[in-house]
Amino acid sequence: MNAAVMTNGTRDVSSPKNGVVAINGLTRRFGRGPAVLDRLDLTIAPGEFVALLGHSGSGKSTLLRTLAGLDPVHEGTVARPDSVSVVFQDGRLLPWKRVWENVVLGQAGADRRRRAIAMLEEVGLGHRVDAWPLTLSGGETQRAALARALVRRPVFLMLDEPFAALDALARLKMQRLVARLWARHGCAVLLVTHDVDEALMLADRAIVLDRGRIRTDITIALERPRHHADPGFIHLRGVLLDALGVHDD
Amino acid sequence: MPANVIPFASVPWHGRTVLRHVDAHALLRYVSPVILVLMWQGACSTGMVSTRQVASPVQVIMTGWGLLRDGTLGANLGVSLARAATGLAIAVVLGVGFALISGLSRLGEDIVDAPLQILRTLPALAMVPLFILWFGIGEIPKIALVALGATFPIYLNLHKGIRSIDPRLLEMARTLGLSRMQTIRDVILPGALPDLLVGLRFAVGMSWLMLVVAEQVNAESGIGHMMMEAQDFLRTDIIMVGLVIYGLLGLVSDQVVRLMERVFLSWRPVHQRGQGA
Ligand SMILES: Nc1ncnc2c1ncn2[C@@H]1O[C@H](COP(=O)(O)OP(=O)(O)O)[C@@H](O)[C@H]1O
Ligand SMILES: [Mg+2]
Repeated sequence: MNAAVMTNGTRDVSSPKNGVVAINGLTRRFGRGPAVLDRLDLTIAPGEFVALLGHSGSGKSTLLRTLAGLDPVHEGTVARPDSVSVVFQDGRLLPWKRVWENVVLGQAGADRRRRAIAMLEEVGLGHRVDAWPLTLSGGETQRAALARALVRRPVFLMLDEPFAALDALARLKMQRLVARLWARHGCAVLLVTHDVDEALMLADRAIVLDRGRIRTDITIALERPRHHADPGFIHLRGVLLDALGVHDD
Repeated sequence: MPANVIPFASVPWHGRTVLRHVDAHALLRYVSPVILVLMWQGACSTGMVSTRQVASPVQVIMTGWGLLRDGTLGANLGVSLARAATGLAIAVVLGVGFALISGLSRLGEDIVDAPLQILRTLPALAMVPLFILWFGIGEIPKIALVALGATFPIYLNLHKGIRSIDPRLLEMARTLGLSRMQTIRDVILPGALPDLLVGLRFAVGMSWLMLVVAEQVNAESGIGHMMMEAQDFLRTDIIMVGLVIYGLLGLVSDQVVRLMERVFLSWRPVHQRGQGA
């Protein structure tokens, strides 16, 4: 059986210099409301794959938006690399640019198209290079969004529920794809998901956001490729579901 | 079975229905206008309607041909087209310019939007007496009237288009590190183009309306002038030629804008086309 180590809120974040991402004491509220993020600490190592879980409204997207530089930091510190990429749940391709132009949007260079095609082939979308985005299926849209994120060679990749709107089959395929791409590109990944199995299939580490803080931080030391039936997998699923307040007996 | 008959089953099923559908549809669209014209001709020929009041279709065609032969129609049409095109061009420049200023900056909106919103509540045609006093009776008041009427649809639609760009796309542009100029060029302007084209369609319609009035109030040339002159000589046939010309101009210019929509908005899925208005 694979070893699984669990620490509960005790992960060492005293040396953020080691991380590609380092958050210290981040607090975020909207207006005079309660703190959505409450003195949150998080460090992500280079190349590490972290899955972020939590109930709807627990602040996952808020955390990710802050890391993406879309939301301001009022309290606390956030250190992140310059080259970050984001994939949102809804793809967000420009409908008036062909797929390949979306991939290299804002990128300079004479070999833009060639790079776009290479990246699209990597995500399995080599046959839709010149398509209009509105003609893509949900899964194809997310592949294109992934290609657009990765063609920039990010050090840190953020995925906000990228497969949530896909059907089960497409989601499985996308998970495999992300695992492959991560292995090849080696960037640090923060994957927001509400799917415990998805987190366990992909991540090195799963964290659970609860009342503005990370109260559960689990290292997933299972060997890849992983299998749902693996006893270690089943054990960790129980742990994560517990942390989410869902008890399946 | 004769050799030249294609077996029914060999034609692809969907191709067959599409063909039949298009044929029937195209025909149906022309049936009722043709019947109406025939009835009109019949009423004139049998004396049910006085040709003093309404010229018959045959008369209109003959008169139109005559006006075309002696150059009257061409000259007046040229003058009218030049006025409409000049006025519309000015309107596009002004409308797009103002919309960019007020759409792309808050300060610009504060300065530009309020006066334009106030101006637009004035019926442009009410400006005719003032324009004649200001600009006399030359080309300028006519062009100015067209420009005035056509600017607002362009401004209002483009402004709305720029302001209603999907904020999620703007956010995406930020995460991709696009500069302000790149964002305007790649995200905002293409996203507002459908609205601009809707505005252009309204503006073209408005141009003809303004031109009709301007040319009928005072002019020495143009289709409207030709019609007013015909009124003095009780020539209903010439008046109706003018009406037909106006109708055709409206139709053709609308088709031109639709063609522009097809070319520039080819990214929209077929089922979404023409939903701009
Ligand atoms: N722009 C905003 N204005 C006010 N409240 C917001 C805003 N964005 C998010 N929130 C609130 O912050 C909380 C966390 O939202 P979010 O980060 O989207 O949660 P999650 O992604 O985990 O579902 C929610 O209660 C939400 O209502
Ligand atoms: Mg969310």
